[in-house]
Amino acid sequence: MTAKALLARAAQWLPALVVAAVVIGLWQGLIVAFHVQQFLLPRPSAIATTFWSDRHELWPAGWYTFKEALGGFAIGSGLGILAATLVGRFKTVGTALMPVFIAANAVPIVAFAPIADAWFNPFSPHSKMAIAAVLCFLPVMVNTLRGLQSSSPRQIELMRSYAASELTIWRRVRVPTALPFVFTALKIASVLAMIGAIVGEYFGGATSALGVLINSDAQIFQFTTAWAGILTASLLGIGLYLAVAVAERGVVRWAPRAQGS
Amino acid sequence: MALLGFWELYRWIWTTTGWTWPFVVDDTSMPHIWTIGHAFFQPTQVNQPLLITILLHKMAFTAKEAAAGFAIGALVGFGLGVLLVHSRLLQRGLLPYIVGSQTVPILAIAPMVVVWINPKLPTGLQGWGAVAVIAAYLTFFPVAINTLRGLQSADPRALELMRAYAASRWSILWKLRVPAALPYVFSAFRLAATASVVGAIIGELPSSIQDGLGGAIINFNQYYTFEPQELWATNIAAAVLGIAFFLVVVAAERAVVRRAPENVA
Repeated sequence: MTAKALLARAAQWLPALVVAAVVIGLWQGLIVAFHVQQFLLPRPSAIATTFWSDRHELWPAGWYTFKEALGGFAIGSGLGILAATLVGRFKTVGTALMPVFIAANAVPIVAFAPIADAWFNPFSPHSKMAIAAVLCFLPVMVNTLRGLQSSSPRQIELMRSYAASELTIWRRVRVPTALPFVFTALKIASVLAMIGAIVGEYFGGATSALGVLINSDAQIFQFTTAWAGILTASLLGIGLYLAVAVAERGVVRWAPRAQGS
Repeated sequence: MALLGFWELYRWIWTTTGWTWPFVVDDTSMPHIWTIGHAFFQPTQVNQPLLITILLHKMAFTAKEAAAGFAIGALVGFGLGVLLVHSRLLQRGLLPYIVGSQTVPILAIAPMVVVWINPKLPTGLQGWGAVAVIAAYLTFFPVAINTLRGLQSADPRALELMRAYAASRWSILWKLRVPAALPYVFSAFRLAATASVVGAIIGELPSSIQDGLGGAIINFNQYYTFEPQELWATNIAAAVLGIAFFLVVVAAERAVVRRAPENVA
């Protein structure tokens, strides 16, 4: 990358950085100016200090929860893609089941978090993985299915007229058209997985888990620590999201503006 | 129906073979369908109303929170989308944070949000108003993103034509951009409908509000080992509420958007 390109990239991120600086400055300034009580909203500097000073507790806890989220993300997304591939092979089954899946997607799955805790040991990471996986499964499955079905009929006809086998059509036409949809879903799922893990921990979990930590800190009004925990969780969530986005850039080169964000 | 059959079949296979993977199947982990169904028409305690009456009241309460949250979130999201489409600078400045906002675990913030917002609300809104704000937080995101995308999807040739006629930004917005965005907006509303119910339930969990489904989940969760069917019944109520919200949006979409919104979700 040349110096000019680097500068252009920096200019692209400049407004975002300015906004961040202004918001954090205002936050800090207003609290100091109006003497807002610490327990309501701690100063950003206090949160940052706690984030650093409690790192031996917070970061391993964050990593623990992140592993749960990652496991759930992998299982749920994997099963979602697999199910969509299977269902997508049979067009009639796909169209028949689609409304069912879409309706199931409207079910507030977090309500099932306590049941997942009861099914699997609440103190093992498996129960959180299960919730995260269930949360990830449906969006990935629905979007993948939609992606597999969205390939242009003319392209498929062209392939057929070249006597391409179904497998070749699948590999050369269906999968490439589906990939932007899949990555959109994976980005949604990456955020959901982290939320799922933390909601699962709300109903009980290992004491070394981030959700449990945030919850118990908030209950004893240790809001600075709670916010530092939230910061940890957000950073990890953004990290997972960015990892998916980077993977998308690497894989989906032919669609510069992928479907949505 | 197939699902119910599958449930009982799975249950039967796992109990008769004694498989314990992935989890132990017994009356606690998977109560019989009829036990759950029966639980709806049983009082939870002696001399108390039937479970189904309690759950209907709680559903109405959570629905109120979710609907208010949906309305706020949809308005804010739409407003943000309109704002962002007119300024690339704002887009670059704010969009990363709009995306980032959703990675914040809302459940963890909920108690603090309730503490901030509750004292500022008039008495009629006490309690559930704060939960509606949490629901709105989950709702605005898909609406903002899809509104922006929809507004940008207006045909560039039509845009040029409007500009050539010296149409104002306002009339371009309402005559061209908004109609083009509607299918996108409604597909976001479908996501948002579910998100608002999820937000309402999550918001109730840590804010010790007992009148809604979230409170019921916490409450029945404590008795899960004795009365698993009551938690299951509550979850079924939550599922019904989520699907109902979704169907209302779909019906509204059918009425408003006549064109087929192809693959815009």
